[in-house]
Amino acid sequence: MTTDPNETLDADPLGLTPQVSRELRPCASYTLRVNGFERPVTDAWIGESLLYVLRERLGLAGAKDGCEQGECGACSVQVDGQLVAGCLVPAALAADSEINTVEGLSAAGGASDVQQALAESGAVQCGYCTPGMAMAVHDLLQRNHRPTEVEARQALCGNLCRCTGYRGVLAAVQSIADGRASDVEEAEETAEQAEQAAAADQPAADRPAEEPAAEPAAAVEPPVYTDADAWIEHVPQPPAEQTPAGAGEPYGDGPGGYDSGVYDTAVLTPVQGIPAQTADDQVYYPPQGYPEQPYQGTPAHGTYVPGGYPQQSGYDTGYDDAPVYQPTPAHGTPLPGTAFDGTPPHGTPYVATPPHGAPAEGTAPAGVPYGATPAHGIRLTEDDHAS
Amino acid sequence: MLPASLDEAVDALAATPAAVPVAGATDLMEAVNAGRLRPAALVGLGRITELRGWRYEDGGTAVLGAGLTHARMDRPDFAALIPALADAARTAGPPQVRNVGTLGGNIVTAAPAGDTLPVLTALEASVTLARAGASREVPVSHLLTGLDPVRPGELLTWVRVPLLHAPQVFLKATGRSGPARATASVALVLDPARRAVRCAVGAVAPVPLRPLEAEAWVAGCIDWDGSREIDPAATAAFGEYVAAACVPDSYGAEGAWEAVTEGPSAAAVRLRRTVSVLARRALGRALK
Ligand SMILES: Cc1cc2nc3c(=O)[nH]c(=O)nc-3n(C[C@H](O)[C@H](O)[C@H](O)COP(=O)(O)OP(=O)(O)OC[C@H]3O[C@@H](n4cnc5c(N)ncnc54)[C@H](O)[C@@H]3O)c2cc1C
Ligand code: FES
Ligand code: FES
Repeated sequence: MTTDPNETLDADPLGLTPQVSRELRPCASYTLRVNGFERPVTDAWIGESLLYVLRERLGLAGAKDGCEQGECGACSVQVDGQLVAGCLVPAALAADSEINTVEGLSAAGGASDVQQALAESGAVQCGYCTPGMAMAVHDLLQRNHRPTEVEARQALCGNLCRCTGYRGVLAAVQSIADGRASDVEEAEETAEQAEQAAAADQPAADRPAEEPAAEPAAAVEPPVYTDADAWIEHVPQPPAEQTPAGAGEPYGDGPGGYDSGVYDTAVLTPVQGIPAQTADDQVYYPPQGYPEQPYQGTPAHGTYVPGGYPQQSGYDTGYDDAPVYQPTPAHGTPLPGTAFDGTPPHGTPYVATPPHGAPAEGTAPAGVPYGATPAHGIRLTEDDHAS
Repeated sequence: MLPASLDEAVDALAATPAAVPVAGATDLMEAVNAGRLRPAALVGLGRITELRGWRYEDGGTAVLGAGLTHARMDRPDFAALIPALADAARTAGPPQVRNVGTLGGNIVTAAPAGDTLPVLTALEASVTLARAGASREVPVSHLLTGLDPVRPGELLTWVRVPLLHAPQVFLKATGRSGPARATASVALVLDPARRAVRCAVGAVAPVPLRPLEAEAWVAGCIDWDGSREIDPAATAAFGEYVAAACVPDSYGAEGAWEAVTEGPSAAAVRLRRTVSVLARRALGRALK
């Protein structure tokens, strides 16, 4: 961030670099609307990316910095309902936009069904790609309630995962889609029963409690692909006044929040949940996902209080309290909720991968009704490799 | 700065000549993050709704807004209009990039692997460059080759593309199955009214190349009045012709000593093969 007087600016490859003196780092102050809350940003360099501002100035470290070049998708967030790479958005120009981050997925306090399914399907190993993956899956299922595998692959092709091999993620997409569909069915059934019973005063109360508020109504609609404007479903956000006192308080001690590079330990100690030398605390970092450690999601945006996150202990795992820890199953045992079907024993006849170029069964190039070049990864049958 | 109209935007650029226009920022922020660019001020073009759509003009021309995103161009209504441009937009990066990356940004960046560029070259499109109180019309090829570049303070506003109502194809070869920049690409359009085939090869040179002789030759091989059939051998020969025209023998050769050795370099042989397959398939699909 400091300017070295000996440093020379590279020639601008686009020929558009204005002639700026090195000392000049134009700054701007603006307000970002993140997960429904207004967050002021003061004196930020105009070249800062949304990813940087979210992480370093607003303390929302969900989106990860994998490459800063738009290649990896770890920084995926939604801006005005569109999935974008946070590292490629100039934060100063996102001031009028509605920004949704992975922290907003679990705003209700628990992991959303997307996060839950990713955790259960074995789609998380090192977890670095997971927040971006969760946003991409969330975005996909907002637009398309019944994605085929090809559609899911296309939607996730900008999210690199170096660990899991993507199968868990694809399984998670299907299980969420199934789960939401059956939730809707259930809700409809309950509503019908309630109607039949003429209990007209309480049909809504019968809905399963953990149902996401906005999804069921939307989930019965057919996949919408025709118009981007139609996808953007406005989910009413809590008004900014609900921000508890101190919510706008930035991390750190620099004038604009961060900047000084020195974390204020008085602020951060309670956040880390390191017990203050109390001998009766059995664990320093409670293991994740154990039943006796109920899940505490990352607090919704704006619930930060200097003095500690409410009851935050340990890390945000993305696990809800439901999955009871299970040991790694024996070799070859399929994990529940995954498409994993184990390495077959030696000598098992191998079901060969279809030859390169054979379209996956039942997957007509999605969204390509006019017979044009399909999207990535789909090959047409006439794409011979013969000559 | 987020002007809401074109006039406001050109005025803002006139008032602050050092300001950088920002559309989807996918190329711009890549340069900023890598330390290659330090903008003095930003003029965001994202709120200029007039540039995000298209209109029709007399004489069978579509006038496309510079702010059309790749994701928008990929949708069926646009694809029915200019299929090759939709094909190019569909493969221009991952969804996160295509949701915001724009046609105008792709042209102004003029990267060798810019996917819309061979299509616009084959279509012989032209662009409108606007500055406060004035605007001018420049053929895309003049812009890309640097004959008539974008001047400081100018905004690319419209892209004029002829509507040909005939098959057109864009094909791209990449290094992996996921979204990636092209190692070679071919755009091919048929212009039945003029009995012409127009073809442009992208990513093999700093600007898209037009194999004019090969185009003229193959147009003579097509039965334009009938079923537009062509001998498969002619399609294959067209591929070879295009490849030989666009990839020089010395392609990829590093030093002068390498260039004087006989025959094409290994890199040239490989790239020619790629280009010839792309061109052959493109013609085959266009005439199918
Ligand atoms: C991961 C990744 C993958 C990519 N893959 C591809 C690919 O496969 N194919 C491909 O073609 N591209 C690819 N790109 C490049 C990029 O997405 C495109 O070039 C895109 O079209 C750029 O548009 P933009 O709106 O983001 O431009 P910006 O970044 O906003 O602008 C680029 C330049 O053009 C100038 N500019 C923009 N609009 C105007 C205007 N209206 N008038 C005057 N000047 C203007 C800006 O000042 C800036 O200098 C990729 C990028 C990334 C990050
Ligand atoms: S950090 Fe933004 S895509 Fe990699
Ligand atoms: S879990 Fe490690 S990168 Fe995806």
